[in-house]
Amino acid sequence: MAKANLSEELNRALEPVLASPDAALPALSPHIAGLAGLALELRFLPRERFRVRLREELEWEAKMSEAAATKPLRVGFHTITPYIAVREATELIGFVKRAFGAEGGVLGIGSEGGIHAEMKIGDSMVMIGGGAALNRTPMPTALHYYVPDCDAVYRRAIEAGATSLMEPADQFYGDREAAVKDVAGNHWYIATHLNGPHIPPGLHSIQVSLHLHGASSLIEFLVKALGVEEISRHPAPDGTIAHATLRLGSSTFEMGAAHGPWQPMPTMFNLYVPDADALYCRALEAGAESVAEPADQPYGARVAAVKDPAGNRWYFATPGKTMSH
Amino acid sequence: MKARVEEADERLLVEAAQQDPRRFGELYERNFDRVYAFVPRRVASRAEAEDVTAEVFHRALVNLPRFQWRGVPFASWLLRIATNTAADQQRRAGRKRLDPAPEIAAPETSDARQVEEEERSARLFRLVQQLPADQRRVVRLRFAEEKSIHKVAQELGRSEGAVKQLQFRALENLRA
Repeated sequence: MAKANLSEELNRALEPVLASPDAALPALSPHIAGLAGLALELRFLPRERFRVRLREELEWEAKMSEAAATKPLRVGFHTITPYIAVREATELIGFVKRAFGAEGGVLGIGSEGGIHAEMKIGDSMVMIGGGAALNRTPMPTALHYYVPDCDAVYRRAIEAGATSLMEPADQFYGDREAAVKDVAGNHWYIATHLNGPHIPPGLHSIQVSLHLHGASSLIEFLVKALGVEEISRHPAPDGTIAHATLRLGSSTFEMGAAHGPWQPMPTMFNLYVPDADALYCRALEAGAESVAEPADQPYGARVAAVKDPAGNRWYFATPGKTMSH
Repeated sequence: MKARVEEADERLLVEAAQQDPRRFGELYERNFDRVYAFVPRRVASRAEAEDVTAEVFHRALVNLPRFQWRGVPFASWLLRIATNTAADQQRRAGRKRLDPAPEIAAPETSDARQVEEEERSARLFRLVQQLPADQRRVVRLRFAEEKSIHKVAQELGRSEGAVKQLQFRALENLRA
C-alpha cells in the first residue's frame, strides 16, 4: 500500500481516540496498530512550552535562593522591605522611634513625591514615604512585629499615640499577641513567640501581614509571578485560609482571609532582587499589571514595579555598584 | 559498568547542585521526562499533570540540601515526592484517589508493569527530541498541544496530507 494510504489509515484510526480517551482503536493491520499504540502513549507527551517555562522558574528560584544564602543585595536589608506611603509620614517616623525604638530617618525625596525614610525595627527595615507632598493614594499596611516582650511594647505603642485593636493575650498558635493602629492607619500585630526564641525560627522581626478575599488564588498567582514558596497553610473551618506563611528569598510574609476588623490593606513591597528586568517580565507573563517598566534610577538601582490582582504593589530593585543611601 | 558511571555522574551532579542550586537545571533536564511520564497516570488532566510536575521540582529544589545519597537513583527520590504531590492534588481536588490502594504506593513497590510503561514513555519523550525538526514539530503540536491535523497544517503552512505523512514517518522513526 502506498505511504499516503497508510498515513491516511493511521490518522483515521487516531482521530477518535485523540478526541476521546475512552474511545477504542479499531481493528488494524499489525504495522498500523503498532504505530497507533505508540501514538496513544504520546498523549502523555509534555508540552515544550511547559518544560522550558518550568526550567526558567527553577533557575530563577535557584538564583533567588543563592542570593539569599550568600550576601544581601543591599547590606542590612532582607529580600522584602515593606514600603509605607502615607501623608502622616513624619508623625509615623516619630511613632516608630518612640514605640519601637526604631533607628534611621529621612534620606531624601522619594520617587512618588514627599520624603523617603528608612527605619530599622528589630532586625528588619521598613521604608516610610510621603508626607504632605504625597502624590498618590496613601497605602498604609499591616505588619507582624515580633518582640521579646509583647505587653511592654504594646504599652509603649499606646503611650506613643496608637489606638488599641486587641489587648495582649495568649493565642492558640503559640504566640502572645496584641494589635494596635498607628496615627497613619497602619496595623501592628505585636507578638512574642512563646516557645523558644521570641521570633519563630526562619522569620524576621517584621513581616507583612495581608488579609484578603481570595487568599489562595493570590498565593497561586505569587508562586507563578514571583517564585514565592508556600511554607505553611492552615485552613479555616469555612474552607478559606486562616493563615499561610510564604517565603521569598530571605524574607517571609503572611496572609489570611479578611474577617471582622482585619480587612484588605493593599501593601507596597520593595524587593531587592538579582535581576529586576527578569522578575518584571515573569510577573507580567503571570498576569501582573505593569506599574513601571524597568528603568535605571538616579540613586543607582534598576527598578520596575507591578500590581498583583489584590492591588498590592511590588517594586523590584536591583542595586547597582553606585547605589547611594 | 555504564550504570556505575551514570550513577557516579549523577551523584556528582546532585552534590554540585547541593553546593550551588544554580546547577539544579542539569538534574532537571536529566529527570524531567521520567517524572513527567509518572505524573499524568495519577491525575485527571494535562493541567493537573503540569501543576504536579512543577510542584515536584520546586519541592525538590527547596529540599535538595536535605537529600542524602543512599545509592538509589535521584529519580526515585523525585518519584517519591511526585507520589505525595499527586496524592495532595487529588485531595485538594476533592476526588478519591485514582489508586485503589489506601496509600499510593511508593515507586519501588508499585506495579512493575506500570514502572516499565513509565520508563518506556520517558524514553519515548526523549526520542521525540531526536526526531528531524519537521516531524518533531508535528508530534508536539498533534499530541502535546492536542491540535487537529487541520490546525497543525495551518500552523506549519503545509497540506493536511503532508502533515499526516510527517505524523506517520515520525511514528515509524520512534518505533524503530
